[in-house]
Amino acid sequence: MRVQAIDHVALLPLYLASGAAVLALFAGRFAKPCMMIELGASALAACWAAGGKDRATFAVGDWHSYVADDAAMGAAALFAGLSVLVAAVSGRQSGEYWFLLAVSAAGGITLAGARDLITLIVALETLTVPLYVLVTKPGRDGAEAGVTFLIASIASSATALMGAAFLYAAAGTVHLEGLATGLADADPALVAAGTALLLGGLAFKLAAAPLHAWAPLVLERAPLPIATYLASASKLGGAVAVVWVVYFGLAANAGASTGIVMAALSVASIVVGNLGALVQRRTVPLLAWSGIAHAGYALAPLAVVATAAGRGGTAAAASAALAYAVFFVLLEAGAFAALAAVRETGEGGSIAELSGLWRSAPLPASLFLFAVIGLAGLPPALAGTFAKVAVLEVLAPSAVWLAVIVAAGTILGLAYYLPLARTVLLGRGPATAKGRFAIALAAIGLALLAATLAPQLVLDFTAISR
Amino acid sequence: MLVPAVAVPFFGAVLVWAWRDRAFAHWIGVGAAALALAVVAVLPVGRGNGDWVSIGGSLSGGWWHEIEFAWAPSLYLDFSLAVDGVSWPLAILTALLGLLCCLHNALGAERRTSGALQDRLARVETGGPSLAADDASGVPGRPAATLTSLLLAVQFASTLVFFADNLILFFIAFESVLLPMWAIIRRYGDPVARRRAAAKFALFTVGGSLIMATGLFVAVADAGTADLGAIIVAGGVDPSISLLVFTLLAIGFAVKAPLWPLHSWLPDAHTAAPTVGSVLLAGVLLKLGTYGLIRVAGGIAPQGAADAAPVLAVLAALGILVAGLVCLSLPELKRLIAYSSVGHMGFVVLAFAAGTEAGVRAALFGNLAHGLITPLLFFLAGALKARTHTGLLGSLGGLRLAAPAFAGLLGFAAFASLGLPGLAGFWGEAFTVYAAAERGGAWLALAAAAAFGAFLAAAYLLRMLRRVSHGPLVPATSGIGDASTAELVVWSPLVAGTLLLGLIPGPLLDLFSEGLL
Repeated sequence: MRVQAIDHVALLPLYLASGAAVLALFAGRFAKPCMMIELGASALAACWAAGGKDRATFAVGDWHSYVADDAAMGAAALFAGLSVLVAAVSGRQSGEYWFLLAVSAAGGITLAGARDLITLIVALETLTVPLYVLVTKPGRDGAEAGVTFLIASIASSATALMGAAFLYAAAGTVHLEGLATGLADADPALVAAGTALLLGGLAFKLAAAPLHAWAPLVLERAPLPIATYLASASKLGGAVAVVWVVYFGLAANAGASTGIVMAALSVASIVVGNLGALVQRRTVPLLAWSGIAHAGYALAPLAVVATAAGRGGTAAAASAALAYAVFFVLLEAGAFAALAAVRETGEGGSIAELSGLWRSAPLPASLFLFAVIGLAGLPPALAGTFAKVAVLEVLAPSAVWLAVIVAAGTILGLAYYLPLARTVLLGRGPATAKGRFAIALAAIGLALLAATLAPQLVLDFTAISR
Repeated sequence: MLVPAVAVPFFGAVLVWAWRDRAFAHWIGVGAAALALAVVAVLPVGRGNGDWVSIGGSLSGGWWHEIEFAWAPSLYLDFSLAVDGVSWPLAILTALLGLLCCLHNALGAERRTSGALQDRLARVETGGPSLAADDASGVPGRPAATLTSLLLAVQFASTLVFFADNLILFFIAFESVLLPMWAIIRRYGDPVARRRAAAKFALFTVGGSLIMATGLFVAVADAGTADLGAIIVAGGVDPSISLLVFTLLAIGFAVKAPLWPLHSWLPDAHTAAPTVGSVLLAGVLLKLGTYGLIRVAGGIAPQGAADAAPVLAVLAALGILVAGLVCLSLPELKRLIAYSSVGHMGFVVLAFAAGTEAGVRAALFGNLAHGLITPLLFFLAGALKARTHTGLLGSLGGLRLAAPAFAGLLGFAAFASLGLPGLAGFWGEAFTVYAAAERGGAWLALAAAAAFGAFLAAAYLLRMLRRVSHGPLVPATSGIGDASTAELVVWSPLVAGTLLLGLIPGPLLDLFSEGLL
């Protein structure tokens, strides 16, 4: 029996992340620095792996289960980096906290490389399961958040698994590359049902409508560092999963149903998210609802795989969706990290409580402002503008109606982002908040600045290809 | 020279903001604006002859100057700037108005003559941000330096729009104007109306620019490049999508221009904005819309422009008439001037829609003339409101007796605005009517409507003068000071420009004719 050759270089980021988890469990009081250093090393390893040639391992014939190309390693580095950021704004926590966080990061890194449905769903579960514990603060509110998240997550996992099962029944394989060819002469009804269930389930992680309702509640009641993680790394996980499945698996022969599902998810998210955000008076739910709308913008380009014109440009559409997701999670991470830094009570509070933040804590306030303006898509926070440009450039030629919906959603978005920005900048409240975690905030701020001045850094690694 | 023309206002804005607590911050702003004006002014030096030549497969030479750096190639985004006879006059107008606004702030031209104390109280009562907290410069009667910084930011973004040779860059610059202008209205505007006005301005503008962006991206996808000059020289986008592209772009620019019926943000924004904000809105922001319509929409979708011209022309003519009729009954000075802008921009759009060479030149000329006259009117209205604390026509009167020089200037600006021959406003409007009539047929009716609109303009401006300048002294105007030296310094370039363009329009028309359209 021939033993399969395993490319350990491709798996190096994953080894390091798993090592971080183990180390965190046994390092006692040094758990936090050990875990941050190991995860940082994992991010560097991912960058190094991306710099070399594309690698792949765990092959069945020509189909690989784990691929380390530029896009995958870029996403992996981002997962590790965001986890380090979350760790940095977490303050003092017990050892299990770091373990669970590192496990979740390892799940994200696996997800980035996953190229078959089983690996993908297992990775997604590894990313999510530790969060059941992490979102639960002591007390009734915390328990409610934890249980809500648990139930919503299990329901969506079951949905996704059902969809995966249908697709396996239709194509006879779980490899995404296998699906691309295997769905060609499968039963269309089975394929459509499988596509809808799988994508609907995966979109849960991204908090896209209709599986969005958990997000505002859980984000509001979770501790702010974990809300940061849920809003950034966890959403990136959802986006990556959807993009991988659509681009590598479904676009080729299930384009029509995929496109319709994506369009429906996207439009529903944009409408629900923006309308929900309009009436919020508390900071975290506002960001959470608007995050639902952003999930809609990120999914919108994938809808063009349905149209004949779109099929030639599937790679462009998938790249745009991934690019939007990356810009978006960076901005979300900035906003939530800034919030975590100024709210020592660990909960977001009402918008009015941010009044006057600009004067009492300039660094977190400027990061928060930059992130909010970026989420609104306006210069000078060009990171958000580039994200919008990337999406609209795909949508405008092939689905003008969807571009108009995205534009309309963005206009609605201004109606709640501008007052939020104004409150932070000009409000005259008695804010006495002190900024904490200056180094972490400076790091994410620099990352955003880099994305603003040199968007090509992000666009290069999100340009996915087979 | 293109990079400094854009960079100087930007760094000026940053420096003024960084030193906003110092007394000299305003003068940094003035210095930056003056430097920017000087840089823009020397751009025509060493320009090409305007012919396009093919060098190594790529066209060049049509621009006076151009530069290009790659920024984000996968988004088709290059930092490429270019200037020619169409964009340069608008850029120098922007630089001039920017300088005058900074000077206006630095000299404290408005507040020195007004009851600053009363104004402060109003702000505190309405819960707005106190100017006192921000204005630590210690000089009473001067607006905060942050305002100067925001003005320079608007100037930077607008200059970038006029010089952008890349459609994506154009869009980004177009969007960049929004936030500083929103902040100017929201923070320094009239305490009663600013909140609503600022929100309305932001929503309308961003809606327009995103629809415009959609049109731009359709065009970019079709052309395979975002190079504005290359697309124009290639004759625009494919005829099959030309109408779609033009419609999307025209809706976007019509919001900014503004074209009736998308104008409703404008009167609110103008009325609520501080004087310098109104000046920049009228002199620069509206020009972004018309420049975009003429250069970008007309340039990259010429077939679509020709197809849509009747609709555009009818809307423009309706806008002229509506603005004239509304102005006849408006009771407030700034609102009246704002609505008159809708009429003037209607002339510009009508001239562009006519599509003939005379029409396009009339559009560009009228555009520029409006950019000189209306800011002057807003400066005067602002000064008057600062003196009398009211803008209601009903409670003004006798200005001619109280402040003769001031009243004379107001009369001059009003006559320029109504298109008196010999002043700048005349050429644009006269040639608009001529260009529309030249097309014959149903266009004759539009020409007649425009001519009637010009008559209405005369009626409402004379009504305004009668109410404000003539009649007996009323309590509001008694005892107010005449125009101060500082004010005269700020206003005189606009007066000179209006006279210059009115008396010798030829050189400017020649500049337009060598531009790329």
